[in-house]
Amino acid sequence: MSSGDSNPAATPTPGVDTQGDGRWMSLHNHFVSNSKDKEPDVLFVGDSLVQLLHQFEVWRDLFSPLHALNFGVGGDATQHVLWRLSNGELAHISPKVVVLWVGTNNHGHTAEQICGGIMAIVQLIKDKLPKAYTLVLGVLPRGKMPNSLRERNAQVNKLVQEAVSSLPHASLLNVDPGLVHSDGSISHQDLYDYLHLTPQGYQAVCQPLHTHLKGLLEKQAEN
Amino acid sequence: MSGDEINPAAVAQAVEDVQGDDRWMSQHTRFVQECKDAEPEVLFIGDSMVQLMQQYEIWRELFSPLHALNFGIGGDTTCNVLWRLQNGELDNIRPKVTVVWVGTNNHEHSAEQVAGGILAIAQLLTSRLPKTKVVVLGLLARGDGPNPLREKNAAVNGFLRSWLPRLGQAQFLDVGVGFVHSDGTISTRDMFDFLHLTAAGYRAIAKPLSDLLLQILDETPEEKRASLV
Repeated sequence: MSSGDSNPAATPTPGVDTQGDGRWMSLHNHFVSNSKDKEPDVLFVGDSLVQLLHQFEVWRDLFSPLHALNFGVGGDATQHVLWRLSNGELAHISPKVVVLWVGTNNHGHTAEQICGGIMAIVQLIKDKLPKAYTLVLGVLPRGKMPNSLRERNAQVNKLVQEAVSSLPHASLLNVDPGLVHSDGSISHQDLYDYLHLTPQGYQAVCQPLHTHLKGLLEKQAEN
Repeated sequence: MSGDEINPAAVAQAVEDVQGDDRWMSQHTRFVQECKDAEPEVLFIGDSMVQLMQQYEIWRELFSPLHALNFGIGGDTTCNVLWRLQNGELDNIRPKVTVVWVGTNNHEHSAEQVAGGILAIAQLLTSRLPKTKVVVLGLLARGDGPNPLREKNAAVNGFLRSWLPRLGQAQFLDVGVGFVHSDGTISTRDMFDFLHLTAAGYRAIAKPLSDLLLQILDETPEEKRASLV
């Protein structure tokens, strides 16, 4: 696996304010200060797929009861999540499980580089939270019809699965509920813009995730 | 604004597929297809502020009953909306009201240009659909604290307030009241990323909007549909 220096996906990089309202840094600061008086058992971290999850009923139904915090930022790629976790978002909490869902926004990076970025995050979490378990969620397919990003994302999942297979503190969970139909298409009822999940899409993804999480938490409690 | 200069915010432009999965065109194609199948009374068009609304309960509660179509696409500028309207998204439909909400993504353009782009959209709508009423929603404040984009969006709204009434069939609705607190901050309870609305945020804007829509639909001389009662 390439070192952080040569893999841009594994080099901590803050978001750049190109628009003019500093929202990325505001969100990061909000997460850091928000974590100071919370004691979450589960931390969700990643991109808009994590962030949007927090807005729908499914979060309140399935994940609030597990004492979960949500540190998702829309548009984030692996290097952004790496920077955030290295700069305060893990400083004040000790979750038992970290759910990591990122990689689809790593445009311009190869599947190998994206896998390297995800594994760098897994390693960082282990360094900062030695007792935590990291559950990496598989990157979902995207686009209405077959395209190169679907292939890239599938390859990322395959590489990450191989990389975590030898690790006791991490695993990959495939949460794709069958988004791609037999004709290769994805429905807007599941991904309203062929990338982001609808509430219905989240239900299908989150039920098995919730079950799996509960199992992990019970196992963590035994240790 | 000089009549000789072309306003870049009023030039129709499709979104290029840079990411590689052609999602923008897929969404546009789906909307064109929806025009063939549906008979909407209300058409919503714009950016993610429009698109995301359909994912929350409030859409089903307040706008589905009005037979509304949602043609929002995240990231869209006035140029993109103009292109979509000129390329099929108005074909075969005769909505009584069109709600336009776009402009916050026009990062390359000045406030005056953005307002000009929105005006061009309103003009296109009234010329293609002579009987439609156009409701233009004001741009919301954004960002955690005061910043140049808030000033820009407020300036866009200022231009729209004076220009839109001249169009006769178009009106401006400010739905941004109350989002900025006295200390200048916006809460993540209203905008989860200081830009996009939460369910609570949408609830706050949906009430005045749905009231206005009902009022306009009521004024339209046609027998009332049972669903509106």
